[in-house]
Amino acid sequence: MTLWWYEARRAGWAALLGPPIAVTLGVSAAFANPQPGDTTTARILLGALEMAVPLAAGVGCASLVGRDPAVELQLAAPTPYRVTLLRRMAVTLAWAAMVAGLTAAVLIATGWWARWPANHGPFAGQLTWAAPTVGLGAVGFAAGAVFRSPAAAGALVTTLWTIQQFFAEPAQQHLPGRLLYLFATTRGAVPGDWTGNRLALLGTAATLVALTLVLLARSERLIGEEEE
Amino acid sequence: MTGQTASTLGASLRYEFRMQFRKRSVWIVPALTVALFLLIGGSLLRDLFDPGERPAEARSAVVGLAVQVHALLSIGYGCLLADRLIRDDGLRVAPILDATPARPGARLAGKYLGAGAATAVPILAVYFGLAAAYAVHTGAPHALGWALATCAVVIVPGLLFVAAFALTVPLIMPAPLFRVIFVGYWLWGNVVAPDMMPTLARTLIHPLGGYPLDALLDFHGIDGDDTLAGPVPGATLNVLRPDPTPATAWLSIAVLLVLAAAALAGGHAVRARRA
Repeated sequence: MTLWWYEARRAGWAALLGPPIAVTLGVSAAFANPQPGDTTTARILLGALEMAVPLAAGVGCASLVGRDPAVELQLAAPTPYRVTLLRRMAVTLAWAAMVAGLTAAVLIATGWWARWPANHGPFAGQLTWAAPTVGLGAVGFAAGAVFRSPAAAGALVTTLWTIQQFFAEPAQQHLPGRLLYLFATTRGAVPGDWTGNRLALLGTAATLVALTLVLLARSERLIGEEEE
Repeated sequence: MTGQTASTLGASLRYEFRMQFRKRSVWIVPALTVALFLLIGGSLLRDLFDPGERPAEARSAVVGLAVQVHALLSIGYGCLLADRLIRDDGLRVAPILDATPARPGARLAGKYLGAGAATAVPILAVYFGLAAAYAVHTGAPHALGWALATCAVVIVPGLLFVAAFALTVPLIMPAPLFRVIFVGYWLWGNVVAPDMMPTLARTLIHPLGGYPLDALLDFHGIDGDDTLAGPVPGATLNVLRPDPTPATAWLSIAVLLVLAAAALAGGHAVRARRA
């Protein structure tokens, strides 16, 4: 347990503060609506879970590689460094999941969840935030391992997120695009693809994490002056 | 400005420019963004060369391209600059630099202009490359003139605004958190419809450049039926949305530059208090 607390602290303040701030901003945006309409408000509330939480978790996971000042020590420890990094990613995602899960519970209890027609129920509907959070987290983790630079990895995660916001329609014109679209609950083009989309996101995430672990096994890549 | 200050500014500008210009991720991130852009389609990057899809007028085409390039590549721009100022503390070179006769304010200004310019080079290369290809493809050399004008009144003020906050805000919060909040802000303050929630979109504080686009470049969306600035019936913050005229467009640019200067001054004050 001490170890997990330590890893949570090493994951950084951004990983800790990101999800609650994201949810708070999303919920305030929903209720600052000057022309109240229940469906729009509910959509923004679910959007806070489906858009804001994954963004915070994704950037958090993108900032894990390249944080340790003396990475040589980590590489010499009995625990492989990639396991340590995987633990920090798990802590980052688990904290985002806790914040999102609690928010979802409040939304279900207050009835806001049901007011968005495409909500997929209280149980399977949790994939609303879980799939994009894990997906974007895995992209961030992989980008962090490839670039070894939180700046570049964070830039890639945020750009991917933004491009799917700005070009929601063209991104979903073809089936592969629809399956990998992050915001299928609140901005999905074809409602029937939702389950496939969520599973595709989780599958892609698992593949990315596996590839990243293979890449991180080449520990000589992690030693360097300042990461580019 | 004394000679000493000017030479500090020039030296740190040149050094920061070269350091950032040679950083691989400054080139990789825009390249990946453009690749994603092309993969998704539906953007002017591809449509510019499709006679059936592109806007009829050269002006709408290159100004529209500027809006899309600016809206998307500025995200990476802000994220990449977020570690530049705090890096001096992280590498523990700040106290050494502070011990030199070079004044901290001039060093900050040099870092701002140098790193900001270097990170903008790939963005401008993408923009002018595509605009030049379009001008050759359609035989419309005046498209390049519009591209230069758009760059001067929309892209450059927008990037100066982003760079100032990207350098200084990470002094008061972790850089990754800044990246999250910056992207949320960029979406909220640029493209959210003002009648949906209170937003800075379409106000004078609009780094995407609604006022100059509307009043100086006469651009009204790629299809010509959109307005990008000015009051929206029923929206909050309409007090910040005067009617778009050339005067309010220049005012909007000035507001962005003043806010950028204020962010730099704030960052300078925070560092001075910590030193």
